[in-house]
This record gives sequence, structure tokens and C-alpha cells, in this order.
Amino acid sequence: MPALLELSDVSVRFGGLVAVDGVSFEVAAGEICALIGPNGAGKSTLFNAVAGNVAVGAGRVLFRGDPIQDLTPHEIAARGVRRTFQNGGLFGHLTALENVLVGLHTQVDSGFFGLLAGTPASRGTEAAATRRARDLLALMEIGHTADHLAAELSGGQQRMVEIVRALATDPPLLLLDEPAVGLAPPMREKLGDIIRRLASERGIGIVLIEHAIELVMSVSDRVVVLNYGRKVADGTPAEVRADKKVLEAYLGHV
Amino acid sequence: MATGRRLFWLIPLLLLPVPIFLDQYRQYVANLILVYVPVGVGFNVVVGNLGQLAFSNVAFFGIGAYTSGILMLKLGLPWWLTVLPAGVMGGVAGAAASVPALRGVRLFYLAIMTLAFGELMRWVYIRWEPVTGGSFGMAVPEPSVLGWALNVESRKFYAFLVLVVVVIVLTDRLLRSRFGRAFVAIRGNEEAAAAMGIPTDRYILLGFAWGGFVVGIAGSMYAALVGHLSPASFDLTELILQFAIIMVGGLGSLVGSVLGAALLTAAPEFFRDLPGFEELLFALLIIVVILFLPRGLASLLARAHPVFDDRYFRE
Repeated sequence: MPALLELSDVSVRFGGLVAVDGVSFEVAAGEICALIGPNGAGKSTLFNAVAGNVAVGAGRVLFRGDPIQDLTPHEIAARGVRRTFQNGGLFGHLTALENVLVGLHTQVDSGFFGLLAGTPASRGTEAAATRRARDLLALMEIGHTADHLAAELSGGQQRMVEIVRALATDPPLLLLDEPAVGLAPPMREKLGDIIRRLASERGIGIVLIEHAIELVMSVSDRVVVLNYGRKVADGTPAEVRADKKVLEAYLGHV
Repeated sequence: MATGRRLFWLIPLLLLPVPIFLDQYRQYVANLILVYVPVGVGFNVVVGNLGQLAFSNVAFFGIGAYTSGILMLKLGLPWWLTVLPAGVMGGVAGAAASVPALRGVRLFYLAIMTLAFGELMRWVYIRWEPVTGGSFGMAVPEPSVLGWALNVESRKFYAFLVLVVVVIVLTDRLLRSRFGRAFVAIRGNEEAAAAMGIPTDRYILLGFAWGGFVVGIAGSMYAALVGHLSPASFDLTELILQFAIIMVGGLGSLVGSVLGAALLTAAPEFFRDLPGFEELLFALLIIVVILFLPRGLASLLARAHPVFDDRYFRE
């Protein structure tokens, strides 16, 4: 059986700059893999390459054994690779519920003409999606935010809504781009619990970019370290912590 | 909420006796309002819901009007059979106008490119003289529905009312579905919309095509109403009026499109008794509404009762 996500020799170039340089690693179902490294190491670029937002110059990205490096972002999302955004990708002017409904888009299969005709089937599909979106918010204990505009929610609530939205279609792979930014320590712990449960109870593979190093070390099964676009370490949190090359990446040569 | 929305059906019912109270001229103005409702509805789907600053609306309007006019004059079709073709031609024009947006053109660049489309169409109306009648325009034969001649204004009113209700119901269904949610998601954050599995290009194309379809139908109604089409009716002044309708009414709101069309079509008629001040008062009206109600007239009603809050995307 192929790995859930497999990167093999992936490179991304912006003009003359090599942002990601021949990076390979795998993520299995139910595994939490953190991607760390100094600013500018290529973490976000690699994320964008997996999600289809930047072109993969060389190498392959395989999702469940199928190459996805030439697909568009919406095709990759439709296959079950979902992501959150570093600077908050919520639709601020939509309610939390509507945000989750947008997340459910690919599963609301009401046809164009059925909708215009107002057929019972299309109404049923829409109503079922709305019920499901409410349930999903309630499940994450943010049911009370459903009818509030996303822009008016607290930072922590927004982060949760974004995660609920990314998970609405039960995707097998979730890419989390700095989910702990701006969260207070107790909220970070709660987030860590949620990430662990998603992986262990639902078998979701998670790739996590995060600067909050205590969160990374406590939730990750594996840590991949990037520096100048290259993978410099790959192992358990304990192994990576002991790796001299990682220290060098963060502190320079000692 | 759903039951409250059902009460909206009372509005067309209450409008049924209106022609009893209006003379021919006022009835003409009422009909003109009905023409401008779908003009606003279609424009608003593209600008308000989809969030694309595209100014090709008058092109769709003119294409719909000339399609009906040409089919009636050259092929002898009765007006009612030309309404759908006018909408389809408007929709095709809408799809064509979405090409710059699909190529990634946005904001002011999109505005100026789509503006050029409207001006290009005016050139076509003038130059394609054997078919369009050139700068002198074309006389549109008397409109009819199933053999019933629309030879008095009140009859046009009923025919238009049916079309307006159909257009609003269909657009409402579209906007409250996953299609409408995809539109406002694209308006909010295209990258995030794509990350939800939404093929943004397809929805931008669909939004433009739907807008063009609805405005094309409005054009067909316009041809039936005025009986004479000339290129001068589809100029930049017309575009500014249409843009004012959705700004004054409220972006992204069907209720707003109706209110904007009603106010801006009727207002000049009220000011007619004050010759010399018409344009001034009209301009002041727009300024005052935008100044005090930046979210348009629709926001007033939405504040009064949530049933009127029909937009997904609230500024």
C-alpha cells in the first residue's frame, strides 16, 4: 500500500532562487508530521507545492500513490488534501456556518437545473449540508458561533472554524499552516489535543508547519527539518532535538 | 425564516391592481422600473456576489435588446419567443466578458477592459447597419404574447411582472445554493475558495453568464417597452445609471437590486416638475444615499427585519 503522501525529490524554483531543493519524505495515515525550520527555509513553499498553489519544478508529489503535482488547487482539494492558511483563510464576511458550508462544497452535489427548478432533491441536499455543517461546529464545541460573522469571532474561535471547515469533507490529509499563531498557551494545548485526536481517532494524516516548538515536540510523530530549501533532518522529536545539524540550522555554525 | 420569505409572494400579488391607478405615462415609468430590476439583478451577481469589477453590463443589455429587435423585425417572431434567445445571447456575451477575469485580470484593469467591451458593441450597432439600422436605430414591431398584443402599457406591465418574478426566483435559488456560496467565497478569498475544492474559473464563468442572461432578458423587455432601439441608448451614461442602481440598492442583495431600480428609475420622473434641476437632484440623491447608507437601501430593510437580509456576503 502506498503512503498517504509521498514527496520525492521535490524542487521549487522562483526565477533563479531555489526555494525547495530536492526534498523527499512520506506521511502515513494517522501520522502527524511537523515541518520546521528557520524563516525562509521553504516550509510554506513546500506546503503550497503540495496544495497546488505553486508549480513543482522537479520531482513528484504522490497522494495515495497518484501523482498530483500537475493538478490545480481545487482538484487537489477535491481529492482530499485540505489545508488551513497562515494568515487566516476564513471568509470574514460569511458566518461560521456559511464558511463550513463552503468547505462542504464538493459534497453538496445539487445540480444546476435541479436547483433552478427547486426540486425536492436539491432542497434536501442543501438542507442536509446545513445540518451537517451545524453538527460539525457543535462537535468541536463551537456550535454557538454558527450564525456569527467569522470576522467577529475571537482568534481561537476563528482557528477552530477554519479547522472544522478544512475537515468538513472528512479529508484523509490535512495541512495546517501555523495553526498556533496568536493563540494563548491554554488554547495551544487544546489545539494540540485536537490535532492528536484527529490523527489517532480518525486516522487523518497531518502535516504541520509550526514555530511553537513545544507544540511541535508534544504532538508530532515525526519532524522534518528544512534549511535553505533542503531537508537537514527527519526523525522522531527526540532524534531531531539531538541532531547537531538542526542546531546549526537555527543558530548557524557553532 | 423560510415562512417569512414566503410572504414575498404577496408583493407581485399586491402589484396586480397597480395599472388601475396609473395613467399611460406613469404606467410607462412603472414598466421601466420592471425593466431595470433584472438589469440590477444581473449586474449585482457579477459585481456584488462574484466580486468582479466588470463594467460590461450595458453590452449584455444592448445585446438582449437588439437580439429581440432583430428576431422580431427580420424573422417576424413574436416578442415572447425572443425573450429566451435574448437571454441566451446575453449569457453568451457574459461568458465572453468573463475571459479577462479568467485570465487573472482584476479590479481596475478588469473594469477598463470590460468597459471597452460595451463600447465595442456600440460600434457594432452603428456599423452593422443592414441588421441594426445603424446610428438611426431600428423600429421594433409591436410586441405580443401568444397572440395577445401588448399594445397598451398595462399589458406590458403584466408580461414584465411575470418575467421579473421568474428572474428573481431563479436568481434567489441560485444564490442560496452552493453556487451562490462559491460566488461569495471567490469574492472573499480566491485562494481559500480553491482550497475548498471550488473550481474558481468555472464559477467566475458561470456568474458572468448568469448575469448576462438576466440582463439580456431585461434588454428584451426594454425593446418591447420603448419600441425603438438606437446605439445612443447603450452608452456610458447608461452604464453609470446601471452601476448607480446596484450601489444605491446594495451590493450583493436581490432586495437591493429591486429597490435601486425602483428609486433611480422613478426619481427623474419626480424631478421633472423642476426643470433645470433634474440632473442636480438626481446626483444629490445618489450622493446622499451612498453617504448615509453605504450598504445601500437594502441595509435599511435588513435592519428593520432579518427576512430582508438576503445577502451572503455582508460588508
